[in-house]
Amino acid sequence: MTDWQPQIIAFCCRHCAYAAADLAGGLRLTYPPTVKIVEVPCTGRVDMSHILRSFEDGADGVLVAG
Amino acid sequence: MSEVVHNGYKSGSNLERVLVAGHFAVTGELGPPKNHDANVIRRKAELLKGCVDAVNITDNQTAIVRMSSIAAGVILIQEGMDPVIQMTCRDRNRLGMQSDLLGAAALGIKNVLCLTGDHQSFGNHPTAKNVHDLDSIQLVRMVKDMRDDDRFQCGEEIPGGGPRFFIGAAANPFGDPFEFRPYRLAKKVAAGADFIQTQLIYDIPRFREFMKRVVDMGLHEKVFILAGVGPLKSVGMAKYMRDQVPGMIVADEYIERMEAAVKHIDKTDKKARAEAWQQEGIRICIEQIQQIREIEGVAGIHMMAIEWEEAIRPIVEGAGLLPRPAIQ
Amino acid sequence: MIVGEQKPLAEIKQMLAGFHKVLLVGCGTCVTVCMAGGEKEVGILASALRMSTRLDGNAIECDEVTVQRQCEWEYIDPLGSRLANYDVVLSLACGIGVQTLVQRFPNVWVVPGLNTTFLGMPPEQGVWEERCQACGDCILDKTGGICPIARCSKQLLNGPCGGSQKGVCEVNPQTPCAWQLIYDRMSAMGRLEQLLEIQPPKNWSAARHGGPRRIIRDDLRLPEDYRTA
Repeated sequence: MTDWQPQIIAFCCRHCAYAAADLAGGLRLTYPPTVKIVEVPCTGRVDMSHILRSFEDGADGVLVAG
Repeated sequence: MSEVVHNGYKSGSNLERVLVAGHFAVTGELGPPKNHDANVIRRKAELLKGCVDAVNITDNQTAIVRMSSIAAGVILIQEGMDPVIQMTCRDRNRLGMQSDLLGAAALGIKNVLCLTGDHQSFGNHPTAKNVHDLDSIQLVRMVKDMRDDDRFQCGEEIPGGGPRFFIGAAANPFGDPFEFRPYRLAKKVAAGADFIQTQLIYDIPRFREFMKRVVDMGLHEKVFILAGVGPLKSVGMAKYMRDQVPGMIVADEYIERMEAAVKHIDKTDKKARAEAWQQEGIRICIEQIQQIREIEGVAGIHMMAIEWEEAIRPIVEGAGLLPRPAIQ
Repeated sequence: MIVGEQKPLAEIKQMLAGFHKVLLVGCGTCVTVCMAGGEKEVGILASALRMSTRLDGNAIECDEVTVQRQCEWEYIDPLGSRLANYDVVLSLACGIGVQTLVQRFPNVWVVPGLNTTFLGMPPEQGVWEERCQACGDCILDKTGGICPIARCSKQLLNGPCGGSQKGVCEVNPQTPCAWQLIYDRMSAMGRLEQLLEIQPPKNWSAARHGGPRRIIRDDLRLPEDYRTA
């Protein structure tokens, strides 16, 4: 159980959070591979159906960042 | 029916005779029981006998199922009293109402009070379907057309002539829009109302203002207006009426007086407090009647002592309205 | 518009109990704009049903489709070929849509996902209010454009009942008194005298009380040989 890592879907805004993730990559900062980033043009685009679909397909958590 | 001699009266009910003779009329309200116990009606009738000229029987008041007003009215006739059956538009369509009016007349009932009816959501069957095929003004007109034109609402002639009722309607001087209230009363008069019974009055200045408008419009000459009064039983009841009953205004003066009545009584002495409240309630009611009698255009009072019929005699007596006139 | 509201998930699951494959059919007209049964709501409900039934241990397969208008043959006809693949159809249209599907596809079991609530409009985002009862005999000219049949709790035609106080209805303090609104508007328009006329008993036969209603326009009807329905 200690090895368990939650599957996270992160909806990231192209203009801030996604750019930040990009920058983190440039700085060689690491984050767990269980975090899957989905780039969105704006977090306003994220809908309840996206979040539900994430859970339905096995996500343990959803992060909306923008 | 046609062999009845009307003597110029519309129905010849005791209430009509008292009003036409120019007496200050007194009517009282009687709520039928939530069962089929005729003795409840007889017991309450005993408390009203000799104190009032006619007795209103409520029609599923506050949308709670009770004994039919017509059936209770017949019991009152057996007791030698003059019933005013209340009829709401909530529970029956025009067929049901006309059929009941024919039945009521056949059983000797001579007064009917035409009402919209409290909404069923307030009562004990809130999931019921309401009817409101007619509104109260249309009901007044229908009863009048049955009486004066011998016609059913559809226009068809009533064979042998229509039932003859002394037709009442309600008025709430305290409902909004306030400016429209006298006009709504005018509509009821135009529709054919012979008498009006008002909502309970606990704000005399506002009622006076309402009556001034009514008198200015000349309505008091076309219809008998009976002012609704009733004794407060406690501070709690007064506040409940003020805060919870739609379309009701209770002046602060009365609440303060009811509070003052128990000021020197120990809070734990519930019996003494109740008695003090009741005495003050009766006193206020008597004063109100005296004030209301001075207002131009008021032809009588309608006493609503809800579940406190015992209060009616001391009030009517205290207001100097006994004995009631006996008119043949 | 026709305003509807989604039924609780538990009730929908009860209607679907025993079925394995369901097609959710949304409607792209009224219930889309009142956000109860359009493409988006179909997607959310389908997802919720899939997850919920999976957690219950009897997963239902849920497919989704939304048609432009569920109350017209031409929009639902294309569904015909797909329906044989499903045990049940969950319609997220108003009651009219459900019945249109049933009439067109008599062999398909169709259940309603919405409660069709009223004919109304949104006075503000997220709020819908009733405006019309489709009584078949419009009287809005007599009441200043405010309908007492739809908006007065007692459907009064001759003025406010005694329960109107401070502009609200006695039945629900959230509901404005229709007759206060009528009075205010007639007063503002200088037409108060119109309210003094006694309105006679309404002819309810034009409303639902005359039985189910039907309109036939011969000027629009196709010649008998060309009729599709």
